[in-house]
Amino acid sequence: MKTNSNDSDSALIEKAKNGNEGAFNFLVNKYYPRVYASLFSFTKSKEDSEDLAQQTFIKVWQQIKSFRGDSAFFTWVYRIAINLAKNYVVSSSYKKQKLNTSIEYAEIDITSFENIESLLSHDESMREIERFINTMPESLKTAFTLRESEGKSYEEISIITSTPIGTVRSRIFRARESIVEFMQKELINNE
Amino acid sequence: MNNINEKLSAMYDGELSMEEIDDLLDIINEDPSLQEKLSMYGLISHASTDALNNVVTLKSNRKKSNRFLSNVWLSNSITAAASIALTLIFVNNVDLSRMGISSSYTDQISSAINSKEAKEVAFKSEENLADYVMKVINEPNFMNSKNSLDLKNVGFTKNTPKGDVYSKGNQNFQLRIEKNNFGLTQIKYWKHGNKMIYLIPLSDGRALTLYGNINLSTAVSISQSINS
Repeated sequence: MKTNSNDSDSALIEKAKNGNEGAFNFLVNKYYPRVYASLFSFTKSKEDSEDLAQQTFIKVWQQIKSFRGDSAFFTWVYRIAINLAKNYVVSSSYKKQKLNTSIEYAEIDITSFENIESLLSHDESMREIERFINTMPESLKTAFTLRESEGKSYEEISIITSTPIGTVRSRIFRARESIVEFMQKELINNE
Repeated sequence: MNNINEKLSAMYDGELSMEEIDDLLDIINEDPSLQEKLSMYGLISHASTDALNNVVTLKSNRKKSNRFLSNVWLSNSITAAASIALTLIFVNNVDLSRMGISSSYTDQISSAINSKEAKEVAFKSEENLADYVMKVINEPNFMNSKNSLDLKNVGFTKNTPKGDVYSKGNQNFQLRIEKNNFGLTQIKYWKHGNKMIYLIPLSDGRALTLYGNINLSTAVSISQSINS
């Protein structure tokens, strides 16, 4: 069975290993929210979570050639983030250390994540999104849930729902679009 | 533009060909709005599926007077069975004194857990647990346990021929037993999508993992059945 990130990221990971910054930035954009949220749960600090998330992706960029795909990509990224968070907790000189962090190998623009971080810092926003997903039309919700929660490929969803792959792709896209629209209208603009 | 957005969604899911990926990467790199949308997709994934966002440890259910227990890893002198009882107390917000645990004893625990060493041990354990939980979620075969247990006394039967899922009505779960208990002395649980992950220390020093659509009390009943 296709897993959520093992297979789906493999092409981008290979490109990133070969120095393709665009592919790497795609992975950063994809996983930044989850990494940030994980770090925020440890630090409870927006600023420190931002710093640690940035350091995480710098390390990922520096070490991506050593990623062998034995685990899901996010699991590997998450482990790096947690190790950094551990140092954050046990090291009283964290503030001093972070000033010395080299960023010469990666240009990660964290400013574009401002809205994301704001939403992630509010549990209620996350619950609102979950609630909205439950109100979506059944066909969209089914395709979306099979993809996001079960990690099914489009082909597998096509078989399960007896629907052409093109329709599956369209439904998942429409589900995401409606959720993004909801977030922008109800959550971000109301912040 | 809608076509580009739909391709972005498909690329997010790893469903584009290498050629399409190259073309789209060039477009995304030039368009901040697409980059932001990509992050929104990441946030949606997080909101809808990510266990780490939905961590529902027992800590959050404790009342303020038990706050010192927020990082507690109870003394080995407390048996696993008693720990399960304590965990249930946390959930129900019942005062510890009603379990006959003296305040001096809880003060000792408080003092112990506030030491730097204890915090480091606790954090290390949390890290190991996080890795373990990620395995449960991300590796589909991980919960395909070789353990075969008779849980008919709590109403669950094992589905065959798949053989990995125990079910009762609309409740179902997979289980796995680890030889060590990660240093756990209380139940920990997480929510992942519509499923729960329970990590339960057993009285013989092993740990039981339950992953599926069951509630806490059922998970406790199952662990008690295995303990007995």
